[in-house]
Amino acid sequence: MLQPKRTKFRRQQKGKMKGNAGRGTELAFGSFGIKSLETKWLTGRQIEAARVAVTRYMQRQGQLWIRIFPDKPITKKPAEVRMGKGKGSPEGFVAPVSPGRMLFECEGVPYEVAKEALRLAAQKLPVTTKFVVRRDYVENSNV
Amino acid sequence: MKTLELKGSLRTDLGKKATKALRRAELVPCELYGGEENIHFSVSEKDLNKLLFTPEVFIIKFDIDGKVFTSVMREVQFHPVNDKALHVDFFQVTEDKAFEVEVPVKVEGFAEGVKAGGKLAVNLRKLKVKAFMKDLPEALPIDVTNLGLSKSIQVGALSFENLELLNAKSAVVVQVKLTRAARAAAMAAQGK
Repeated sequence: MLQPKRTKFRRQQKGKMKGNAGRGTELAFGSFGIKSLETKWLTGRQIEAARVAVTRYMQRQGQLWIRIFPDKPITKKPAEVRMGKGKGSPEGFVAPVSPGRMLFECEGVPYEVAKEALRLAAQKLPVTTKFVVRRDYVENSNV
Repeated sequence: MKTLELKGSLRTDLGKKATKALRRAELVPCELYGGEENIHFSVSEKDLNKLLFTPEVFIIKFDIDGKVFTSVMREVQFHPVNDKALHVDFFQVTEDKAFEVEVPVKVEGFAEGVKAGGKLAVNLRKLKVKAFMKDLPEALPIDVTNLGLSKSIQVGALSFENLELLNAKSAVVVQVKLTRAARAAAMAAQGK
């Protein structure tokens, strides 16, 4: 599961997520990808579940890039605990995602395989996504 | 290089309001520079998509309110969510001056390495070249027939007549990658 090796501080404030993604909106590595159409926190577990779904469908063919990293710690209070008495303990990490943010990219597989693999990945995520193809994409049998 | 003719109309209002109104009318605000003065104009989104959604590169002849300008595309801004073109920059070119442009790479032949179980990867789909307009080809042909397993072709190894390649000489254009299966077979052969 993706998470930082070490963090400077154990807890972070929630922060605001306004507007569309400003960076990481274009395909940078592969020919196919999925981008988020919603604002949400994606947990490390969700990202891992999506990654497994893609690699299982692509049967170790091609290459996959994960364009987001869960580097924001989230905390949770234990069950049946009264409010107050300080912030809860860290429970995991999330990646804040805004509309337009590229989530996964893949390369080295045919169009249909990439589309289905990324559809399966999208099912593991809590956001609606959009399948995108490189603008100058042409199917090449030699590649 | 292929030529595309497009019609544009001059923009008089350049503010945010006018630009948004243009986009609502399915027009894309554009700018042409590199000539005597910068020209702000708009082009139909449908026409512009012929230029954007293709691997080919064109020399564009704009008819802007009766005046004809020759140009190449320099920069495009896209909307992060709906991927529509927001703004396009064009660079005015002339026959008598060399200019920089990205030309697509065309891989030719069937690589030896691919026959041996490798996978051909095109790392650079376009190369930046400097040339006169008359010398510009539609694509840069690269013959990969003799490219073996885990071999690559770098920019420094390429040369084309009347073209100056501007990418780093050590940049890899195409390579035959070892697949996991080929690597496992090679390891097994070494073990024996």
